[in-house]
Amino acid sequence: MAEALPKKRVGVYICHCGGNISDVVDVEAVRKAAEKLGDVTVARRNMFMCSSEGQALIEEDLRNDRIDSVVVASCTPSLHEPTFRGAIKRAGGSPFMLEQANIREQVSWTHTHDHAAATAKATQLTLAAGGKAALLEPLEFIRVETIPRGLVVGGGVAGLRAARDLAQRGIDVVLIEQSPFLGGRTTQLGRVYPTEEDAREMMGRLIAEVTADPRITIHTNARPIDGGGSLGDYWLKVEQVSRGCHREMTPIELAEAIAGLPADIPNEFDHGLSQRRAVWMPYEGCSPSIPAVDWEHLPDDAAERVQGEGFDFARRVEQFEVRGATIILATGFDPYTPCKGEYGYGEHPGVVTLPQLLRMLAPDGPTGGRLEVDDRPVRDIAFLRCVGSRQVEGVNEPQPDGQVNDYCSRACCTATLHVQAELNERFADLNIYDLYQDIRTYGRGHEEYYIRASRDGVIFCLYDANKPPVVQQPEPGTRLAVRVHDQLTNGEELELDVDLLVLATGMIPHTVDELVEAFKLPRSADRFLQEVHPKLRPVELAVEGVMVAGTCQAPMTIDEAAAAGSAAAAKAANVLTKEYVELNPYVAEVDPALCRGSGDCVAECSVVEAIQLVEVETDTGTVQRAEINHTICNGCGMCVAACPHDAINIKGWTIPQFKALVAGLMTLQEGEA
Amino acid sequence: MSEAYDALVIGAGIAGLQAASDLADQGYQVLVVEKEPGIGGKMILLSKVFPTLDCSSCITTPKMSYANNHDNITTLTLSEVMHCQRDGDGFAVTVRRKARYVNEESCTGCGKCEQACPVLCSDPYDFDLGVTKAIHIPFKNAIPLVSVLDMDQCIMCGACARACPVPDCIDYLDEDREVEFRVRTVILGTGFELTPIDAKREYRATELTNVISPLQMERLLAPHGPYGGVLRPSDGKVADSIAFVQCAGSRDETLGVPYCSRVCCMYAVKMAMLLSGALPLADITIYYMDIRTFGKGYEQFYQNAKAMGISFVKGKVAQITGAGNGNAEVRVEQIGEYGGVREFEHDLVVLSLGLRPGGDLLGPLPLTVGDDGFVASPDSKLSPVRTSEAGVFVAGAAVGPKDIVDSIIEASAAAMQASAYLAGGEA
Repeated sequence: MAEALPKKRVGVYICHCGGNISDVVDVEAVRKAAEKLGDVTVARRNMFMCSSEGQALIEEDLRNDRIDSVVVASCTPSLHEPTFRGAIKRAGGSPFMLEQANIREQVSWTHTHDHAAATAKATQLTLAAGGKAALLEPLEFIRVETIPRGLVVGGGVAGLRAARDLAQRGIDVVLIEQSPFLGGRTTQLGRVYPTEEDAREMMGRLIAEVTADPRITIHTNARPIDGGGSLGDYWLKVEQVSRGCHREMTPIELAEAIAGLPADIPNEFDHGLSQRRAVWMPYEGCSPSIPAVDWEHLPDDAAERVQGEGFDFARRVEQFEVRGATIILATGFDPYTPCKGEYGYGEHPGVVTLPQLLRMLAPDGPTGGRLEVDDRPVRDIAFLRCVGSRQVEGVNEPQPDGQVNDYCSRACCTATLHVQAELNERFADLNIYDLYQDIRTYGRGHEEYYIRASRDGVIFCLYDANKPPVVQQPEPGTRLAVRVHDQLTNGEELELDVDLLVLATGMIPHTVDELVEAFKLPRSADRFLQEVHPKLRPVELAVEGVMVAGTCQAPMTIDEAAAAGSAAAAKAANVLTKEYVELNPYVAEVDPALCRGSGDCVAECSVVEAIQLVEVETDTGTVQRAEINHTICNGCGMCVAACPHDAINIKGWTIPQFKALVAGLMTLQEGEA
Repeated sequence: MSEAYDALVIGAGIAGLQAASDLADQGYQVLVVEKEPGIGGKMILLSKVFPTLDCSSCITTPKMSYANNHDNITTLTLSEVMHCQRDGDGFAVTVRRKARYVNEESCTGCGKCEQACPVLCSDPYDFDLGVTKAIHIPFKNAIPLVSVLDMDQCIMCGACARACPVPDCIDYLDEDREVEFRVRTVILGTGFELTPIDAKREYRATELTNVISPLQMERLLAPHGPYGGVLRPSDGKVADSIAFVQCAGSRDETLGVPYCSRVCCMYAVKMAMLLSGALPLADITIYYMDIRTFGKGYEQFYQNAKAMGISFVKGKVAQITGAGNGNAEVRVEQIGEYGGVREFEHDLVVLSLGLRPGGDLLGPLPLTVGDDGFVASPDSKLSPVRTSEAGVFVAGAAVGPKDIVDSIIEASAAAMQASAYLAGGEA
């Protein structure tokens, strides 16, 4: 080709999105308008620009020098920017020669019923992107060396699984657990469905692997109180409270040593059904088998009341920093606690939650495994499902944040049937009633428990969420009366007299406000942590390099949490098996010719040490000039606005580029007022 | 000397693709073997996906494209693993590459052969609702975008070879051939098939043309669907009363499928929502035993569907009979305050079929399977992606019915444990 190429060659590609866009927007009209734009050399449209065929269009035009920058008018960049950057890269271009105009979420999905206005808006957005694209520069990723270590927050099943998988991959891990003991909520269960393994034995296996692994450093009784950094180099500030004890003990040894302490603290391991002392271990064989002091409840004269060696009643709080390339959050759930009076909870001793019942059935539980209320054996027991889950606005009391828990807690349905199977095995002549909306035994091996319950004679009553069962306030010492409109008998009102009412409570996320605050983590309306996209990036949070695993994301079962732990580890390993990460080049840049060293930028900068004044030698002597630390700068643009001399720009979002963008938006369409 | 890879991934559905991508991102060399002519599995055929209602192509194509373009991934389509035997610290693998009759390297996907071909046959990608040609590109956004010739349909007229602009691209003498590989670890992502539509004889799916499978309804709703809209198969009428019959292939001991298939509630609710968008005047009814919307955002999705006016009738459908004009009559004992045995007429009925294991799981690999036929995991609570064979991992619907979200998470999990195995950790 003898002719010189035009200086700017913008290719515009308009996506139909299989009708998602083209059913509303006249894509051909958009294409024609784009074609007329000054620097546009190619304007095409395609059914799916994200398909291999669509991407090949871009690649071919780049390879043939028809274009040097790309505009894709399609969906949101958060979905497909990586896709189109990849296409440009394959054709040998800089991945940053791309502008995406969002004409799906911002146009066709929002202006479904006004096709003409939608087409006009899509055209404006496309022309704006085209104007900016002509000013794009071939930027390059900023390379940062990674800290060769992964951080895991939470020592339950998801966190332990993630830590162990990373370690087996050859990666060093620091694991932080808030409680003094490892294993999480699973250790409070008896047997687990559907394998019928003993929960503690099962978790014991994983805990033993983790604690024996030389690549894993564990901090218990520790929690992150602050954090920061970026992909490849994150830090967490950890606050660790001393354990108060430094010797392994059996529960019998411990009981003898602390017999002098009052047993008046609600035992969280038994969900408040028993009392414990201020030095405690949850169960025999817990990990570590070293007792821990409950500093909040420790009497001042504890040292005099406790016998034997190995205790240290001076509370110490240590703060330290851990650094790693990635963070996996596996901070788990708390069981929903019914409000006082919700179905008689907290008012009648015969009303308990499902987690409490599981502890009652445990040989080392509050009743030694006996099924009793007020020392009377239980003959009739009713289960009420969906307490704290699937709540209905206007029917159920809102939560403290004013919302109802409208989500399903996923694990409680099978858990309820599983405990019914155990009850039928262990206690003869027990009448079991089950008040439900839907039985959700969805998992492999779950449906068998439902079939078994029906065979074992469990009586099911179907209630309507808008007319939940009512618990009659009984006289002290009498049985509970539960009234239900049973849909299985055409809505007949039944009254069930029972000794024990078990509320099958759901899950709520364990509070992680400090981390949410420090990293500005997104939460969904249900207050669980929100992944980037349930299918594209299901275990990643919007903060790159911060992963989510287990029940802090949504209610799930043990096996699902374990899989999520492994999956989060995979995403961390993708980073940690390389020695560097590539960061976006959208950072501030100072033009030394314009900078006068006013320091206004430094004052405005919200990131520690991202911009500083340094001394520079010039012809006229030593002057102060702003300098950017490119790996720390987050490209927020505050310094750009603060600079009185227009000396700073954000790469990829320069002021001239913004002006071109605005000029494109201001292009009025023919026929528009 | 057979070619060596770190990992073999069997199946290029969404689970296989995710597992392959995660392993490849860690620097391992991955061989993906897919029996169909294109990758993307069942997911690429769906219309939109729950609970976000993203168009399925928008989510699947980037994952397909990513794996397909990855330097560390080699994909063989139209290929099946015949043998996979332990050999030293790895596996010796025999793959049968079936004849495509089109040179995959030189085909440009221009589609001229398809235009020239005079043979019309039913389209397997539209589940026989639409037609295709004997030589065709599987579907619009197929990867690889290459033609495939169905020799059972071909009349050897030579029209395609004459139309093809690439010399020697179409080869009628192409033959199956076997290729040997060596791999160190295996991930099974063999997915699922629907339970047979004619299994429940009371539902008369073989007699009644307008009683269709859920994947057929997905195709009717898809942007590239066979009819360009939701028309019923018997006469092309726009359906105005549509029913979904839940548990038509699951939770039914008479079918030998006592288990719950886990996805049917959500796919029915999703399609009901899409239908009420596509056909605003249509009445849509879902007959169900329990609505199992257990995942993140699923219950809210179900409640939205109720608020949109989709009718939910609790009751197990007893039988379906013809009602004239191609309509079908659904007989059900409705449970609730005004319950009783009822009959309802609909002009299109979807049987919400269940999931059974896809492909022959036991053929090439000696793995333990459960009573339900899916792969069994010996440590299903703590390490659900392990199998009875060290170094062999499993993900997605091969290890039990599963939705897309859970399959993708499990696929990453399988990749993680496989990479730990490759790095020398115990399996």
